[in-house]
Amino acid sequence: MIASGNQSQVQVPQAQQQPEPVQDSTKEPVKITIILPTNAYFLSGIRDFTLTMTKNMTGFSEQWAYRFQSVVDELCNNAIEHGSEKGQNVTISFVNIPDDSLEVIVEDSGTGASKYTAAQMNNLVKERISMMQGQYLGLRGRGLPKIVAEWTDELLFEDIEGGGLRVRVKKYLRSKEDAVLSSSGDPTHVMLT
Amino acid sequence: MTQATITFEDVRSDSDKKVKIVKIVGQLDESNVDEEAKKIYAVIEGAGSGLSLIFDFSDLEYMNSKSIGYLTDWYSKVSSSGGKLVVAQAKSNIVDILQVVGLTQLVTTYPSVEEAKLAVM
Repeated sequence: MIASGNQSQVQVPQAQQQPEPVQDSTKEPVKITIILPTNAYFLSGIRDFTLTMTKNMTGFSEQWAYRFQSVVDELCNNAIEHGSEKGQNVTISFVNIPDDSLEVIVEDSGTGASKYTAAQMNNLVKERISMMQGQYLGLRGRGLPKIVAEWTDELLFEDIEGGGLRVRVKKYLRSKEDAVLSSSGDPTHVMLT
Repeated sequence: MTQATITFEDVRSDSDKKVKIVKIVGQLDESNVDEEAKKIYAVIEGAGSGLSLIFDFSDLEYMNSKSIGYLTDWYSKVSSSGGKLVVAQAKSNIVDILQVVGLTQLVTTYPSVEEAKLAVM
């Protein structure tokens, strides 16, 4: 774990970590940003977009496309529930380096009634990871420590200047098992299936 | 609101065991899961002791962490009253998320409803 200034980072242990990428990437990053009203109604559309985009643009396998769908949904749920009050927005950005990595950044406005700081979130995730070492039967609390932390390589919380929380998660495409056999190669060409 | 439909079907058996199939079609997410969960709590609370539930997830496309929390709570309630709770025909992405949260250590998943019936009856 690295924590400095207004940033708190959880280093996520990964059983599958391997040093070699599938292939060297010289491709330019592609960034897509979506701004949503603070309403869970819109999340099914974000999940559909995440699934399609990951399958067709990133080089990650279909299994990882479904996993990213869950990661994005959980981060957005938290931003809507805690970070941004009704009438405000949640901003979701996808930064993809094809065949290398996919980063998701979710920002809230810091106007929610139960908002957290980056340091508080970092402590919360550590507490919950510890709490879930054994058999956990609680109703809530699996989203960040189990789904988000287990399915990403980096989890970083940042306080946004002026208010709000930014959550960054990043997953590297390291093993052939995580990749599709071939990606389209054209990051602007999304197959809507 | 995301669409989800829940239907209940009684399983007939020669024994006196109470078994219901709970079929969930669609997606369970933050926009609908609290309302849909009430229907399942009502069935569990109305059935008394010994009820077993087979969750047919063949047409369940998505479930979020809160819906997994509810499934865990239904497992606890059904188990504590002498019944069983199992999952049948879940898609690979659903099995994957149940595994990552550790729920497959509690709730057994079966490839078919028939195999699930054999396990609970």
